[in-house]
Amino acid sequence: MIQTIVKQDWKLLRADRTLVSLALVVAAIVGYAVWNGSQWVQAQKGTLQAAKAEEGKRVGGLRKSIRAIESGEKEVKPSEDPRSASTIGATSAAPYLMMPPGPLAALSVGLSDLYPSYFKLNLRSRQAVLANDELENPLNLLAGRFDLGFVLMSLFPLLVLALGYNLVSGDRENGTLKLALSQPIRFEQLIAGRILLRGGVLAGLTVLFLTASVLIAGVDLSAPEVLPRLGVLLALELVYAAFWFGLAVWINARVSSSAANALTLAGLWLGITLVLPGVLNLVATSMYPVPSRIEMISAMRNAGRSAQTKGSELLARYYEDHPELAPEDSGARAGDFATLSYAVQMEIDKNVQPVLDHFDVQIEKQQRFVDGFCYLSPAVMLQSAMNDLAGTSHHRYRHFVKQSDSFFAEWQQFFLPRIFKKAKLGSQEVEALPKFQFREESFGEVMGRVAPLAGGLAAWSALVLLVGFRKLRTVSPAE
Amino acid sequence: MTLEIAKKEILEFRRDGRFRAASAMVLGLLLFSLALGIQRHRELRSEQQQAQSETREHWLQQGKKNPHSAAHYGVYAFKPVTALSLLERGEDQYTGVAVWLEAHKQNEFKYKPARDSNSLARMGEFTAATVLQLFLPLLIVLMSFSAFSGEKEQGTLRLLLSLGVPLRQLALGKALGVAGGLGLILVPSALLGSAALWLGNSDGSLLEDLPRMGGMTLSYLAYFVAFIGLSLGVSAVAKSSRLSLVTLLAFWIFNGLAAPRLAADLSRAVYPAPSSYEFTQRMDAELKKGFDAKALEQKLLAQYKVASLKDLPVNYAGIALEAGEEHGNEVYDAHFRSLWDIYGKQERLQQALSVAAPLLAVRSLSMAFAGTDFTHFSRFASAAEQYRRQLIHVMNEDITVNSTAEQRGYMSDEKLWKKVPEFHYDLPSVSEWLSGQSMALSILAFWSIAGMGAAAWAATQKLRLE
Repeated sequence: MIQTIVKQDWKLLRADRTLVSLALVVAAIVGYAVWNGSQWVQAQKGTLQAAKAEEGKRVGGLRKSIRAIESGEKEVKPSEDPRSASTIGATSAAPYLMMPPGPLAALSVGLSDLYPSYFKLNLRSRQAVLANDELENPLNLLAGRFDLGFVLMSLFPLLVLALGYNLVSGDRENGTLKLALSQPIRFEQLIAGRILLRGGVLAGLTVLFLTASVLIAGVDLSAPEVLPRLGVLLALELVYAAFWFGLAVWINARVSSSAANALTLAGLWLGITLVLPGVLNLVATSMYPVPSRIEMISAMRNAGRSAQTKGSELLARYYEDHPELAPEDSGARAGDFATLSYAVQMEIDKNVQPVLDHFDVQIEKQQRFVDGFCYLSPAVMLQSAMNDLAGTSHHRYRHFVKQSDSFFAEWQQFFLPRIFKKAKLGSQEVEALPKFQFREESFGEVMGRVAPLAGGLAAWSALVLLVGFRKLRTVSPAE
Repeated sequence: MTLEIAKKEILEFRRDGRFRAASAMVLGLLLFSLALGIQRHRELRSEQQQAQSETREHWLQQGKKNPHSAAHYGVYAFKPVTALSLLERGEDQYTGVAVWLEAHKQNEFKYKPARDSNSLARMGEFTAATVLQLFLPLLIVLMSFSAFSGEKEQGTLRLLLSLGVPLRQLALGKALGVAGGLGLILVPSALLGSAALWLGNSDGSLLEDLPRMGGMTLSYLAYFVAFIGLSLGVSAVAKSSRLSLVTLLAFWIFNGLAAPRLAADLSRAVYPAPSSYEFTQRMDAELKKGFDAKALEQKLLAQYKVASLKDLPVNYAGIALEAGEEHGNEVYDAHFRSLWDIYGKQERLQQALSVAAPLLAVRSLSMAFAGTDFTHFSRFASAAEQYRRQLIHVMNEDITVNSTAEQRGYMSDEKLWKKVPEFHYDLPSVSEWLSGQSMALSILAFWSIAGMGAAAWAATQKLRLE
């Protein structure tokens, strides 16, 4: 019996032109969103490729000139020796530390347009590098990206609601409910069949949209751990769709007209996707404001002052960073200057770094507090989880910064002793320079963050579905 | 007759439970966002002012240093927090809060507040501006979607027309009714907003900001008029109230959610801006070229009529440093100007696109009046840059004139640091930048006039009794 109802409802749905055109519109929007996301990923990849090429050329040239000097083909003035440790460490071999776009980055741009995807290593000062930004018109950053994450979170629920808003009320209003029930069929069977069909259509559309997205974005399915991520993403999407569907069922269970249902559901949509995130954010940041960068700058300046002044005294005769302008000295002036300026910089860094570290800890604490508020909004949970799975969240960025920090320490450890010894690097040493390779977070690490969010989303969906179905059971057909 | 109709509409709104609930929610959201924003706003303002004076203190209390070392120490410039940013945060979250003014480099502003937030913040920016730009038009839609279609469906339109009420008066009466209903919310909102501004900015004088406040108010009013016109027009033309509501909601979603992102995409495609990598590479390549030292040498030797640099009565080091700065400044000017030019073109394109979505126009105007758009930011950035150049110049002058090439470790002291005046910045007056918003202004005006016109035309020509 339920089978017949399902088949019947499918025919009805297919014939409903508004619904079909809405589905097509959403499909087109999904396609555009994914295309948009993949354009962004392409741009990022292009930048990283260009940077890598530039570095390759630079280091290649360095190797060539070192070999030429070592073989005696070339002669250089001591002040312009390309083998000097400070030149190599700071300029000619300075690497780009790159974080390639995440495996599913095309599906959710997330916060990746706010963070840089590479650092150009600066031997002198870590802090200079870490505050870098990607270049983008702030007006466009304000608007955000039209990506799949936005569509799935905000616009897809409308399709779900359109499928479910007149689940019960539609028949009642058309007068066909009484007709249908005059057949040997129970009301529960009718509703169950309809829910089954529409839920099935919804699930099918979700799978379809996601599959199409993966194809359009050209996701490399053979890359490690991409399939599990996609699997979790699909599951999250289905749970999210179930949440909205449950909401529609619940609202339908209240005896109302389709129009009133639609208005109520639209109001809930507005509240959950637009109002709630904003309100939560306001409350969270009022309770625990973001630590102030301005205070951090002041603290940094204060912390570095005495080391700065001392250092300036030492570097006075070199006009701080222009050894070529200093009065004539004998011998390895450039070497002296390099040693001195790095020593000064290290002293300043030593005093300033604790301020930065303290600030980082504060920021992390604040973000964890605000993250807790996520659990009050299914929309935010979905967005955060998607960003994490796609590799565009601030967690991944922080992961990258940590790796960059340790590489920076490695680089410093390699070069500073050699700079202080005024050493020259041979071609073998240049081959053996530390190299940076971004280590992607493992699926387990990502799931450590996504699982609680998924659990929260599932809890919300379960709650709404439970309440909805229980209410549905109390509905009597004779209204 | 028109006024009678308007009064009746307003009375109906006041009695309508849904209207009361919706307007209570809107006012509640407004109150909520303002209340929570005031404290934060005050903190940000005092923090910025404090930091600005602290950096000046640091500069003056550097002790004895070589002037070029002082130039490297530099000062910080902190982005001002405008009074109206309490209502409209604009692009403030996406522009850096401070810039380091140091020798040789025109740095970029660092520490965008948005970077320190997380996805929750990115999703939900809640200010008075959001409520006015997004939620008030929704309220207008809810108030007017059944203005005509409802009367048709209830059969009261027939009655009205049988009384000999001219359609034009009916249309105007409906419009005034919605405006009056809206006024029931806008008046308390305006009071709330003014109180918030006064509480949030009690250190400064709000009188200076009156033209900006007036401009903002007029922009929003034009925006609301456009929406009233549009909603009434659709209501008159639609076959049913349901269709009217769906159409208007679809437009509202497009206008509020999709249009800003689509406009950003389009402007990026039409006027592509360089990536950070390209920008830095191009600038670095030109900076590396440096200035022509030989030409400078020859010029100086000729000018002072000496045989070698050692015989100059001034310190060549200072002159060389200044020449390096000038070369760098030329490069920076060329590149930043072209970058900001591209951003300006992108912004104007988005203003033009407001023909399809009035939100784009009112957003642009709202940010401009609040002083939180890119024009205001780049003006501050330029002022800070000019100050930097002045500071470096004073340092280099001192080296040139007061030290000699043989002096090892020449150092200066507070007398020199004091020579550099304190950095002072005033917000531009409205007339300075209003022409940059001319497209938004004219399109918004067009929207409100056309909206009303369309409503009038639809009501009088297209209204059918069936």
